[in-house]
Amino acid sequence: MKLSRIRLNQFQQFRTPLEVNDLGDGLNLFAGPNESGKSTLVRAIRAAFFERHRSTSLAELQPWGDSSAAPEVSLAFTWQEQEWRLEKRFLKRQRCDLVAADGRLNGDEAEERLAELLGFQFPGRGASKAEHWGIPGLLWVEQGAGQEVRDAVGHASEHLQSALAGSLGEALGEVTSSAGDALIQQVERERGRLLTATGKPTGDLREAQQACSTLEEEHRQLEEAVKRYQASVDRLGELRKQQQEVDAARPWEAQRERARAAQAQLEAVETLQAQQAQERYDLAGIQRQQGLYRQQLQDFEAQEQQLEKRQRAKEKAQQELATCQGNDDAVRQRLAQANAAYDEANARLTTARQRDHRQNRQSEHDQLAKQVAQLADTLTQARERRDSLQQLAEQQQAQAVDDKALGKLQQCEAELGKLTAQQQALATRLGYTLEEGQQLALGDQMLSGEGETLLLAEAELSIPGVGRLTIQPGGTDVADLRRHQQRLETERDALLQQLGVADLAAAEERARRANELEQEKQRTLARLEGLAPEGVDALESEHRLAVQRRDRLAAELAQLAEREGAQPEGEASADLPSVAQAEAALGHAGQALTSAEQAEVEHRQALSLAKQALAAAQAEWQILHDELNAPGRQQRQQDARDALTDLKVEEERLTATLKDRQRRIDAANPELLAQDVARFTQAAEALQRHAQERDAEITQLKIRLETLGANGLEEQRDEKRQRLEENQRRYDQLQRRGAALDMLLTLLKEQRQAVTVRLQAPLQKHLSRYLSLLFPGAELTVDEALKPETLIRPDSGQEERGDLAALSFGAREQMGLISRLAYADLLQEAGRPTLIILDDALVHCDRIRREQMTRILFDAAQRHQILMFTCHPENWQDLGVIPREMHALTAAT
Amino acid sequence: MPRFLHTADWQIGRQYSRFEPDDAVALAEARFTAVERLARLATEESVDAVLVAGDIFDAQTLSERTLHRTFQALSGFSGPWIMIPGNHDAALAESVWTRARRIGAIPDNVHLLLSPEVVLFEEIGVAMLPAPLTQRQTHRDLTAWFDAAETPSGLVRIGLAHGSVEGQLAEGIDASNPIAADRATSARLDYLALGDWHGLKQIDERTWYSGTPEQERFKDNGAGQALMVALNGPGAEPRIDARQVGQHAWIALKRQLSVPSDLDALLAELEALPPMSVLDLTLQGQLDLAAQQRLEQALGAAAGRHRSLQVDMTGLALAPTADDIAALHADGYLGNVITELQRRQEVEGEREVAREALGILAGMLSTRRPANHREAPQG
Repeated sequence: MKLSRIRLNQFQQFRTPLEVNDLGDGLNLFAGPNESGKSTLVRAIRAAFFERHRSTSLAELQPWGDSSAAPEVSLAFTWQEQEWRLEKRFLKRQRCDLVAADGRLNGDEAEERLAELLGFQFPGRGASKAEHWGIPGLLWVEQGAGQEVRDAVGHASEHLQSALAGSLGEALGEVTSSAGDALIQQVERERGRLLTATGKPTGDLREAQQACSTLEEEHRQLEEAVKRYQASVDRLGELRKQQQEVDAARPWEAQRERARAAQAQLEAVETLQAQQAQERYDLAGIQRQQGLYRQQLQDFEAQEQQLEKRQRAKEKAQQELATCQGNDDAVRQRLAQANAAYDEANARLTTARQRDHRQNRQSEHDQLAKQVAQLADTLTQARERRDSLQQLAEQQQAQAVDDKALGKLQQCEAELGKLTAQQQALATRLGYTLEEGQQLALGDQMLSGEGETLLLAEAELSIPGVGRLTIQPGGTDVADLRRHQQRLETERDALLQQLGVADLAAAEERARRANELEQEKQRTLARLEGLAPEGVDALESEHRLAVQRRDRLAAELAQLAEREGAQPEGEASADLPSVAQAEAALGHAGQALTSAEQAEVEHRQALSLAKQALAAAQAEWQILHDELNAPGRQQRQQDARDALTDLKVEEERLTATLKDRQRRIDAANPELLAQDVARFTQAAEALQRHAQERDAEITQLKIRLETLGANGLEEQRDEKRQRLEENQRRYDQLQRRGAALDMLLTLLKEQRQAVTVRLQAPLQKHLSRYLSLLFPGAELTVDEALKPETLIRPDSGQEERGDLAALSFGAREQMGLISRLAYADLLQEAGRPTLIILDDALVHCDRIRREQMTRILFDAAQRHQILMFTCHPENWQDLGVIPREMHALTAAT
Repeated sequence: MPRFLHTADWQIGRQYSRFEPDDAVALAEARFTAVERLARLATEESVDAVLVAGDIFDAQTLSERTLHRTFQALSGFSGPWIMIPGNHDAALAESVWTRARRIGAIPDNVHLLLSPEVVLFEEIGVAMLPAPLTQRQTHRDLTAWFDAAETPSGLVRIGLAHGSVEGQLAEGIDASNPIAADRATSARLDYLALGDWHGLKQIDERTWYSGTPEQERFKDNGAGQALMVALNGPGAEPRIDARQVGQHAWIALKRQLSVPSDLDALLAELEALPPMSVLDLTLQGQLDLAAQQRLEQALGAAAGRHRSLQVDMTGLALAPTADDIAALHADGYLGNVITELQRRQEVEGEREVAREALGILAGMLSTRRPANHREAPQG
């Protein structure tokens, strides 16, 4: 469908007619600032189609303030190569005329035809709203509504369904049919009452499940209680039976009887045992006595043997004593010899020592004498040196010269020398060569002959017969020097005076001399020290001491000689051994003496012991001998023998009796009898106790059963089972219902999905084509209601998904437009009119996007007529169309 | 000439857990009213005694209320009620009888024969030979002692026992307490009144099972009756007369629905059943939606007419016809869903769920407003 002409009159701001002619088949761009009437134009087109001509609620179409106006719109368009004309007037003299190739239609009929053609509907009453606008509502984008496309699709879905004829239309119909959705929702709701989204029981189903498990548990417990009850009843029956059978017989009495019998037997045996014990005791006594007697006889024998032994012992002792005594003399002699030898050795040693002592002293004395002489010599020398040293020191003192002064003097002289030289250099040289006999007087000085003089000061040279020459040497320096020289000379003289010398040479001579003396002094000092390191005085005292010692020793020696002379010479000196030898000899002698003394002591000890031994042996033998010969011994021996015999007889008798009784006892088996008694007694007690316990248990059971019985356990249990089965039935029912709803829901969704997919494909194809111009490789998914849903963009290898609602405003605008264009393509394929109106549709585009959108619009315009309204014609220069200025249009009409 | 009412197996306290609670309560109540009717019958017929051959109570530990109610139901007949314990209410060391006695529920005209020894009722000319059960299970013939028991010559010898007669097909008999098939003869009994078999059954001229006075299971064995026994004197042949006592017939039906006429036949049959029955209906085959609806309606009505109606339709498939589907306006993918559900009813294991799903869908579709594209849009 292509609009060719629009005309409006008395329509909002257009109080006078506005006409737009020559609309193009593709893009038509209308530009103008705000308030220039762009939206009014759009409003007019919309009113022409959407509003009933008879509607009374359209006052806003009138120009402001003119309530008598009758807004008019007339359109001319082509559709399927036929010309159509629509004229409508609102509010006053209302009319609607539709002229088509196949006739005219008026009023409501015309409007129905329009609605059928474009795919929208009229409201029942009142103004037209979004839900009525159908397909044009989708394709004619209002200001600020471009980004919201989902609702528009929703409103248009039924029309889309009938417009997209054939399988597509059907599919769309089913998919977007409210009935189908409502059904699915209903099923979902019903299912939600029983199952959660993940298929778990909820609501009634879960309650039923829980009730079942609770009741099962309760039933089980009751069942158990019943069983326990029944078990108790059975037990009661058993116990009663036992009571009757067993207790009536009173079995414990039999046991007691048997216990008593066993007891009697036991007592009999015990008597025997007592007797046995007694006789055993007697037997033991007899045996003990036997032992004693035997022992006695043994003792007698032993004694006789002992006497023999003692006799032998005595003899041995006697022998030993004799031997010992024999050794006596030898030992004594040895001792005496040893003593004598020792004394001799000792005397020789003393003598040797004395001799040595005297010899030592003598040599010492001689040595000292030599030392004394030496010391005296040294002392004399040292004294000499000391004296000379003193002399030298005095001399030196005389010659001493103050070094400092000397130094200064030397310096002075040197400076003077230097000065002189300077003077000479500076001085005026006066050379003269006088003729023979001539003379000149230079100051006081008479010059003659040849020579040279230096003039350091003004000088007067008088030439006799000529006059006087005054010569002033040049420079202040000269005077300076002269002064300096004088100064120095004064200084020098002072120094010479100080030093007490005539001149420097003398001073130096004196210094040199003093030095020499010093050196000599040093040499002498050295020699003195060599002789007497500690000083002469020390040397003198040393000498003195040595002399004293020597004299002392001489006195001592004299004494010794005296003494020696008093003693007899004993032996010749040559025979005298050395001290060492004598000491050694003494040592040996001492050792021999010691051993001889030891031997003697031992011998005496041995002797004494032997004597003692003999005495003891003798005594012992005597005792025993006496004893054995005592009277009555024989008799006692014999008595013992007899007694022994008697006892033996008795013993045999007793042994026999014991054996016999023991046999009887063993036969009776007293242990076993004792056990029997215990056993029977315990059995009796156990039986009685058992009976009592049973009685008690019976009583208890009866009480408990009576109490429990009052509960009506089986009745309760059966009631519980009833409720359980009822609940289980309900649960099964609900479960089946839940499963059925689940299956139903799944199938419904599956089938619906299958249908949706069939329709999504062509829509997707158109969307992708446009999208590739904006985001290469991107995809815009549509949901089951064929509304655009998610934008998937490749982003450096990954996919970036964004719900439409989450995109930026600008992006939503663009997606909105693309979706509408895709729908338009679908509709065109289905042979339906597709007029597109964009009122300020892309306001939030950056430059790049705008360029892309421009391409898209251009592409779409190849297929559809697009009326585009904008405030910014400069943005759309690339569209390839010249924008129509609103004010131009206004002005033109 | 003594006349008795012979009954047994009252099973007081039996719970019917497979029924809806209301029905279960009513059925339990029916057991008491049956006893009341027995008492009334006994009085009307002026019998000399009522013989109750065991299993008066269904369990040992019933509530006191139940015990009281039971014995009070006997009040309609003031003559002797002669009872023995059966296997459900055996006379154990502690039993329902000891409890009843303890709480003083047993009236004087109730004679509880708890030991196997002759009891004389001279005033009515009867010597009773009871074989009471004193254990939960007995495997020996408790009536054996009858053969050697002596009774005074003028009195009629009546045996009262509870167990299964040897040699009979023992289907459905509860306990394994054997009774010799020729006991009446070998013990020279004039009549042997038996209990344990819940249906009416004759063993020989003098040996009968009376069955339970109110039917309590789906077995067509003559339950719900009591026996009037008339004896002319010792040695005479007894005259036996069965009387209906029970209120509710228990009927189990299993029907196949393949063609529409099957449904008609079933509905007619339902109509013809005696009212206040206990019905168990098992249906197999398939129905279309219209038939389904008809069936539902008929079953609803039947449920109102009877004591209880339970229907098992797990073997019944729902097979909507093309008309059905069209009537539902199930177009497009909804139609596919219906087809798929039909297919799944053939798959074992999914049959019931698919059927139910289809039923739900059909229900939802039929109750929604028919879609009109031109009406107030909702998209």
